[in-house]
Amino acid sequence: MTDDTVISATPAQPEPKQKVWDAPVRLVHWLLVFLVAASWWTAEEGEMQWHYWSGLTIVGLLVFRVYWGFAGPETARFSRFVKAPGDVLSYAGKLFRPSYRASFGHNPLGALSVIAILLALIAQVVLGLFASDTDGLESGPLSPYVSYEVSQDAAALHEDAFNILLILIGLHIAAIVFYLVAKRVNLIGPMITGSRKADDVEGPRAGIAPVPLWRFLLGVAIAGLTVFLIVWLPTTR
Amino acid sequence: MKMKLFAATAVLALGLAACGGETPAPELVAEAPAAEAPAPEPAPVATASIGETPADPVAFMKTRSDNYKDLGKNFKVLLDNSKLGTPDMAAVSAAAAKVNEYAGLMGTWFPPGTGPEAGKTEAKATVWTERADFDAKLANLQTEAGKLVTATGTDAAAFKAQFGPTGGACKACHDVYREEDKDK
Repeated sequence: MTDDTVISATPAQPEPKQKVWDAPVRLVHWLLVFLVAASWWTAEEGEMQWHYWSGLTIVGLLVFRVYWGFAGPETARFSRFVKAPGDVLSYAGKLFRPSYRASFGHNPLGALSVIAILLALIAQVVLGLFASDTDGLESGPLSPYVSYEVSQDAAALHEDAFNILLILIGLHIAAIVFYLVAKRVNLIGPMITGSRKADDVEGPRAGIAPVPLWRFLLGVAIAGLTVFLIVWLPTTR
Repeated sequence: MKMKLFAATAVLALGLAACGGETPAPELVAEAPAAEAPAPEPAPVATASIGETPADPVAFMKTRSDNYKDLGKNFKVLLDNSKLGTPDMAAVSAAAAKVNEYAGLMGTWFPPGTGPEAGKTEAKATVWTERADFDAKLANLQTEAGKLVTATGTDAAAFKAQFGPTGGACKACHDVYREEDKDK
């Protein structure tokens, strides 16, 4: 009787899975998707108080993600996925050969996209922190440290540079569609579940090794403290 | 020094031109390096009699825009200080006085013929077609700016309490009568 239940609960031997993305990487990714959209919308609608908090949350996520690029699991580390130009070219050359196998984590080409988007986001939040509107009615938390003119320039660049971010996001989505359609590789699923089928991929079969919890908590603390200081320090001048 | 004199002459010329005088001197106005002018130089304050189109509408509109930028600059001083535990009350009082001064003059900044049909401006045509409402909102700003001057002369708490309503009075008008992000 009980055996029956067990068997029906697991109808087939589960396919071997390779763990590719840990929870923090996935969470940061999807929160960024949501908050970049929210920042765009709040800016267009003039909801600047929400824009302020949305942007500050992005600051925290970026601080954490950069830290995680040194302290996180294998596929999160910059040293692991950022490749020399030669490797990028050789990957691009292999892309259409029968010997092609999906990369473990970011592929060398995708790594460029990750770095470009991270840098664009960092530039975007730094400009936003110092920006202020023409009227001197709304401003980023670090705007008091700079003159009206500088904060105006920051605001103008903040607005213009957003287009660069949009282009990078467009390329990112186009690449995902390319892999899905042309290469039959689904990149979206693993970014949601963290795992993918272990057949015919590079990297260790089990995937990434777990990271101690304290390392994650340390990252959260660093990110939280950074945001707190950005809000609090200007009020103590 | 030469630069200052030059700018001062340009301002004077523009002031005269704005009042519909005989000396428009448009080339001086056009060459006036407003952005490069030394920082302590006060922004030109153009005024016109209501109902009269200025002799050089484009220069008049440029001055109006510069005035608003200087107003924004002073407002940023107020905004920055409003976030501090102990605001710099001397700076705040000076900025509030400037805001109040501009608010008092603003009624003369929108004579006929200085709207979007005349050149580059963020002012919507409705400033002129819905003048009564525009003037009512301006009167409210003048009231709030006056209160701000009083508040900044009182104490930090009074300043912080009056900062929001004054900014709100600015915004009430911008939301309706200003074009979004036309020039950046």
